Amino acid sequence: MKLDAAIVGIGNSSFGRGLPDSQLRLAATAFKNAIVDAGLQRHDVDGLSIHLGSPIGVDYDRVAEAFGLEIRYVNQSWLHGRFVTNALQHAALAVCAGLADVVACVTAISFTRERGFLGGPGDVEGNREEGGTHGEAPPYGLTAPAGGAAIAMQRYMHVFKATSEQLAAVPITLRQHAMLNPRAIMKEPLTLQAHQNARMVVDPLRLYDCSLISDGAVVVLVARGDRAKNMRQKPIRIAGMQGIRSGRDEFIFAPRGLGINQQSGRAPAPRIVDQEVFASAGVERSDVQGFFTYDAFSPLVLFALERFGYCGAGEAASWVQGGRIALGGQLPVNTSGGLLSEAHVGGWNSICEMVRQLRGTAGPSQIADAAVLQWGTAWGDSVILTAGADRL
Amino acid sequence: MSSLNRPRPRIGPDNAPFWEGCRCHSLMLPTCAECGKAHLPPGPVCPFCFSDRIAWHRATGHGRVSTWTIVHKAWFPAFRDDIPYNVVQIELDEGPRLTSSLVGLSGRKPEIGQRVEVVFDDVDDTLTLHRFRILA
Repeated sequence: MKLDAAIVGIGNSSFGRGLPDSQLRLAATAFKNAIVDAGLQRHDVDGLSIHLGSPIGVDYDRVAEAFGLEIRYVNQSWLHGRFVTNALQHAALAVCAGLADVVACVTAISFTRERGFLGGPGDVEGNREEGGTHGEAPPYGLTAPAGGAAIAMQRYMHVFKATSEQLAAVPITLRQHAMLNPRAIMKEPLTLQAHQNARMVVDPLRLYDCSLISDGAVVVLVARGDRAKNMRQKPIRIAGMQGIRSGRDEFIFAPRGLGINQQSGRAPAPRIVDQEVFASAGVERSDVQGFFTYDAFSPLVLFALERFGYCGAGEAASWVQGGRIALGGQLPVNTSGGLLSEAHVGGWNSICEMVRQLRGTAGPSQIADAAVLQWGTAWGDSVILTAGADRL
Repeated sequence: MSSLNRPRPRIGPDNAPFWEGCRCHSLMLPTCAECGKAHLPPGPVCPFCFSDRIAWHRATGHGRVSTWTIVHKAWFPAFRDDIPYNVVQIELDEGPRLTSSLVGLSGRKPEIGQRVEVVFDDVDDTLTLHRFRILA
């Protein structure tokens, strides 16, 4: 099956903390904005791909029922941020296979109302026989995804002599990006001193190394390439993909082989299969003009950059210094502010930003002549988006 | 503080012998009867050779700190009075790693590579947690 899919519409709700709206209302706002953006009608949408279901998000059947949709394809994953890429990939695969004409990727989140799921006694995800999938060990008081990012960064800092001051470049840069973005929640400048003086949450992660606990919704519409050509917006091509990585040498929040949980502790040399997204998209890494990633915790940005070979193992903490990942730098990262400073909409806020960049409508954050952008995560999955409508 | 408020391990068919071992103050490891390798977390088959023949053997209880953190946020009410407290991963001499905590740190931070030895903390009549102490 040939990959021939495009993003044809995007929409979002307002982003904020403690929003009074239900997740379903946030989703409805984003959905309406997305179909207007795409020039479609509600009934043109016949597939749903749901990244986060109830109770943090919304379930597919309730969305279909509440919005009066007629759905013939559904994908829904369990309550983890990690399935953001997966949800977009399933939408692309479904339209290519003819299972749906237009799939709406619907992500609506209320973290502020449902924050009990993010660690502590209400965290059912951590209560597995083997502990949680981010390393949670509730009997020892380790809970929440932040704990997994902390134990990985602690070892990374030991092995590669990286520092918290170096790590601060990630949230500081993304805050600079957020300050150009009227949708962003965080608009105050962040200094190195403020980062270092902020309270420690779970060592070595300080407050600003942890993403926002926020509310908001994003809808991304995906259609097959031949349909996308005739729609309102310039289609943004899903040019290449690679799937989530798993196995004993993997830990969700670490580079391969770092030595967390059962990882070998021997950083393996990157293999072609680890970075197959570039070949899948028919581009070189050097063609990529901006990198977008799931920055729930600032170390994840370092790990993702290493995953995809922008620098070598252990080099990312120094590589991100000096404005390299800022707008105008060598590889701008999360140009709308990401989960650290725009909002935590499961990464979909950054996927919307990629679409705006490739349409050339990113305003003061615009990457000049943006044509090839990469979404890639610390756990190794990726999608490359291109503005190359001629290749559809 | 009552131990009843503390989160307890979820115990099922695959890991019950591990926690039963802790109750008897033995750190038990599921070990493959064919290839000889121990693994964690306890699973129904050997992750290395996929054999079904798993036997439980007592570990030496020695290992090294492979990573650590100190928790400063009161996620669990039952741990509120313990903040800040440490959580570590230990690489056992047999190879597998497990998550535990260090006793006797008295305010110092753990260090990766420190040699440690298992100790047992009898939480109540039905639960004993493994912890580790730093070897001099």
